[in-house]
Amino acid sequence: MSSNSFSKPVDTKRDAPKARPALSGWRDWLGVAPFFLFVFLFIVLPSFRLLIGSFQDVDGNFTLKNFADLMDPSILGAYWVTIRISLATAFGGGLLGFLMAYAVTVGGLPRWVRSALLTFSGVASNFAGVPLAFAFITTLGRVGMVTVFLKLIGVDLYDKGFSLYSFWGLSLTYMYFQFPLMVLTITPALDGLRREWREAAENLGATPFEYWVKVALPILTPSILGTMILLFGNAFGAYATALSLTGGFINLITILIGSQIKGDVLHNVGLGYALAFGMVVVMGVMMTLYYFLRRRSERWLKQ
Amino acid sequence: MSFLSISNVSKIFGGVVAVEDFNLEIEKGEFVSFLGPSGCGKTTTLRMVAGFELPTSGEVVLDGENITYKSPNQRNVGMVFQSYALFPNMTVAQNIGFGLQVRKTPAEEIRKTVDEMLGLIHLEKHAEKYPFQLSGGQQQRVALARALAINPRVLLLDEPLSALDAKIRVELRQEIRRIQQTMGITTIYVTHDQEEALSLSDRIVVMSQGHMEQVGTPSEIYNHPTTEFVASFVGQLNLLPVTEVNVQNGTCKLNGQLVRFDHSEQSEQRQISAKPRLAIRPEEFQFGQAEARNVVLGRVEVVMFLGAVVRLRVRIGEALVSVDLFNERTMILPRVGDDVTVNFPAHACWIM
Repeated sequence: MSSNSFSKPVDTKRDAPKARPALSGWRDWLGVAPFFLFVFLFIVLPSFRLLIGSFQDVDGNFTLKNFADLMDPSILGAYWVTIRISLATAFGGGLLGFLMAYAVTVGGLPRWVRSALLTFSGVASNFAGVPLAFAFITTLGRVGMVTVFLKLIGVDLYDKGFSLYSFWGLSLTYMYFQFPLMVLTITPALDGLRREWREAAENLGATPFEYWVKVALPILTPSILGTMILLFGNAFGAYATALSLTGGFINLITILIGSQIKGDVLHNVGLGYALAFGMVVVMGVMMTLYYFLRRRSERWLKQ
Repeated sequence: MSFLSISNVSKIFGGVVAVEDFNLEIEKGEFVSFLGPSGCGKTTTLRMVAGFELPTSGEVVLDGENITYKSPNQRNVGMVFQSYALFPNMTVAQNIGFGLQVRKTPAEEIRKTVDEMLGLIHLEKHAEKYPFQLSGGQQQRVALARALAINPRVLLLDEPLSALDAKIRVELRQEIRRIQQTMGITTIYVTHDQEEALSLSDRIVVMSQGHMEQVGTPSEIYNHPTTEFVASFVGQLNLLPVTEVNVQNGTCKLNGQLVRFDHSEQSEQRQISAKPRLAIRPEEFQFGQAEARNVVLGRVEVVMFLGAVVRLRVRIGEALVSVDLFNERTMILPRVGDDVTVNFPAHACWIM
């Protein structure tokens, strides 16, 4: 009798090396310990303090007055200006940054242009506060270099209504760190657009415009949304640049918080905490909106 | 006049010649493969037909229309990419219908065509899935359906199976041939896999270093290669050093033994090199004495049992020769070190 030529399946479980447990040794957790420590010390604890403090008056007693004061027209106005400036610079910086990133990735510009732009963006996206304000004052201030030069050739910016110390002047200054941030975050996404997608679309009869509308932009939407919320948050929380540039002339919510917490005239720490809590709420709303938009736009991604 | 004519086409990339003087006439409904190693110019040629590359010189005429400088979206040729290139943000049905949608085809017609295409590729139940939910083979079927949905004048396939595993590759290539024959669509298929080219094509263009080496039917390419490159790239080829070559009589000496070879095509197509070698395929050998065949002596050095085929390496003089034998249940295999007599027919070998 011939033996059965079909051998028994190999017991792979026995031979295979044991899988690592989901929660491996304490050494792995040690690596991320600084992260959790930072989160706890500089996010969780301050947020907790902020929440508690916003329900306290100057003597430490429980009160809802701080939140009631948020309804003051000047405070609501400050929120509105801050949101507007954040939206304007997020969209403006986002658009400008996207076009620049497009030019150096999909656009076929020489390689050195890409390197130059990315290097500049890396520096400029972190260039904010007093140095940035000073840089803009010396170039676009009333006696700034560019302002004077333009005046010499017959273009008086300030006569035409421009002011560096206005809403649009501050927005322009914010754009200096907003668009580089967009360049840095959207470039990898643009690099991820595969050449074959564009070629396949063209091959099927699509124009470049149709390819962008129907293929490329839907693919990029999650990345664009993510970057826009980052830009919004970046501008929403900006303080030093605005304070240095306008000296409080523009009533931003961050400047208001600063004056409530450390100011001599408007000192009311509880209100400052409530204002900050309001900012958290605004960011929360934006994040929620972002979450739903992103879920809608990336339903085709691997879960 | 042929349906697709590629005339005197060359392509130079920054001083590097990718394709040189490519000439090919393709009939309507024909399946032609471009076969060659990486960097031989086959994909560049295909991309020039698709419109993704402009020829440095020459022209491409499709159905009487010069399309050399037409943009890819105006050529109405379908292309299937190696990496599938399915749009990840669209379902299978949306991918297949994309070409019709951008052509502003009525929705009802798009739906009908998509259903037809899904039936053709047997993926009716996957219409609403996204590409990431499909296997590689399924994705490539969808890519094929998407290219066919626009009813292209020519179908171009750029190594469509090379990213798939062996079993799926064989299944899918039969599927591609079936669909191509069903639709009667003129097809150019780029591959570096000789088995794919041989099994699928009406004609094969073998390419090397930007040149066309040979154009012919699979049988012509395999059995009557005109260059050493074709002979060695398509299938396995033994090249044995020989002396005293007499082309007129078709004789030479192999390891001191007289051998006859096929000299009918020798003068017309094949050039004999300074160091002549006898070319013969491994499957042409048999063991033992045989009348009217060349008979030489050798020693077995390697025996590999591959199932349907037994592959041996036999030393004949200085040369180590591959010998393929079809397996039979009763076959008694020689052992390593055995002295053997091998024979092969004169018509199966030639001088290079």
